[in-house]
Amino acid sequence: MEPSLVTLEQSFSGTSEDFPALLRRKGLFSPAATIDLTARAPNSREQSWKPTEATTILAFKFSGGVLVAGDRRAISGNTVVYDRADKVLEIDRHSIMAIAGVPATAWEMARVLEHSFQYFRRTQLQEMSVDGKVRALSKLLRDNFGFVMQGVGMVVPIFATYDFNSNPGPRLYFYDAMGAQFEVADYAATGSGSPAVRGILYYENSWGAKRLQKLSEDEAVTIALRALDTAAESDTATGGVDRSGKIYPLIKVVSREGITTLPERKIAAVFKQTVA
Amino acid sequence: MIEEPYRWVEAIANRREYIETQLASGSPIAAVGYRDGILFLTLGRARQKIFEIYDRIAMGAIGHPGDIERLRMAAIELASTEGFTRSAGDVSLRRLAHYSLSPVMKNAFEQVYGAPFLTRMLFAEVGAKPEEDLFLRVEYDGAIATNGATFAQARQDFAVLSGTGKSTELMESFLKIEHAPGALFEAALKVALDAWSIGHMTLQKNDAKELPERAALTKHREEQLAVAGIEAAILERDAETAIRYRALSDEEVRASIQQ
Repeated sequence: MEPSLVTLEQSFSGTSEDFPALLRRKGLFSPAATIDLTARAPNSREQSWKPTEATTILAFKFSGGVLVAGDRRAISGNTVVYDRADKVLEIDRHSIMAIAGVPATAWEMARVLEHSFQYFRRTQLQEMSVDGKVRALSKLLRDNFGFVMQGVGMVVPIFATYDFNSNPGPRLYFYDAMGAQFEVADYAATGSGSPAVRGILYYENSWGAKRLQKLSEDEAVTIALRALDTAAESDTATGGVDRSGKIYPLIKVVSREGITTLPERKIAAVFKQTVA
Repeated sequence: MIEEPYRWVEAIANRREYIETQLASGSPIAAVGYRDGILFLTLGRARQKIFEIYDRIAMGAIGHPGDIERLRMAAIELASTEGFTRSAGDVSLRRLAHYSLSPVMKNAFEQVYGAPFLTRMLFAEVGAKPEEDLFLRVEYDGAIATNGATFAQARQDFAVLSGTGKSTELMESFLKIEHAPGALFEAALKVALDAWSIGHMTLQKNDAKELPERAALTKHREEQLAVAGIEAAILERDAETAIRYRALSDEEVRASIQQ
């Protein structure tokens, strides 16, 4: 710790800056990348705008809250570098950020976000509103957009949380790489395997045995596993379920009570019964 | 005037007297370790006096609200940036108080042309075991008192904060006798409430030399409980989440007292 860390200005106002601004003031956080068009890969538009965020993340509302599931594969080019990656991250007691994109940037964003919410609660003595939280992630994505334009550091997350305000209930949002947020009523998917998943969730929600929101937890897990397995069938960047290695997707549920991480044996049991 | 050493000492003494007078009416705060964590407790809710600093650190303070706010913000800032750049495990109350808060407060106190901090603060950090709990009181002049074992006293698993030295002293001697290490929550709550009552009684009767009679203590406690709100928070030892701080509502504490 540098000795000058406690700075107490006489002009102290009591309103605190947001956490990323605090980090920047202390020089602990990389400044927002500037959008420099000349720094773009010169030969092709495709290289600077890689749309592939190699992974599959899905989330949908069911009777017990919001289920968020992600496969475990991390790739570099066409090499699998890690098969136990955790892409469904807990931000606070009721919020989950699930990530598709460049892990270094995404995990850093999750850390900043986690500290932002806590910093706000501790300094301002009140919980940040859901709108505030959703906006905080949007701001981080916007700050990162310069890097995206340079072809590095693209992150496309999903954000799931529980709103305790006037109209309590689970909330689900997805984002684009520029930071636009979209609230969804039923389901969201992101990553390279998401087109297949979106198709399945749309089908299930419209013509399945039950609407997604009516599903029990076991039924919801079944749909999530089937969807991820389908995505992995054609998308090499998605891990799906590793039958030989016994590696299952990570599934978390956000509800009024908080976040539950489903134990692997439960997921394995559902998988054996209804998927395999 | 402060070019002369004697004048400087005099100025500091005046300033100390002034600050002590300002703090003298501050309602006491008791922090008591128990088997499953640490309990902070005070009565009277004119404004919040117990705060969350980081995952395992809480703070109680009396004094000028403006000064409390500045130091509270500084503590949260330090803990949060350390927790972010390194890890939550690297945030330590010992470092926060000794290296950051104490020098700043001493400086402000001794710069006689500037304003000192009109505040007295009590910090606690919950450990994995009760023996690892750390309690720490930081004075307006940067002096630090801890619960650690010294030549004069054994290690204590409590700490108190009050407006006057006498009040603090009596609360401490009460807890030394009455508080059993490793107590359960209900017992810790009861002893903390009694310690608060003793501190509060002593503030009102400045000539109090020794602990009050049991009956007088009970009477004062019940009177105060009837008119004032309870502010309390706990640092939980074995919580599933990283954040161990939890504020307790007035109703929640009263329900526990009834048991």
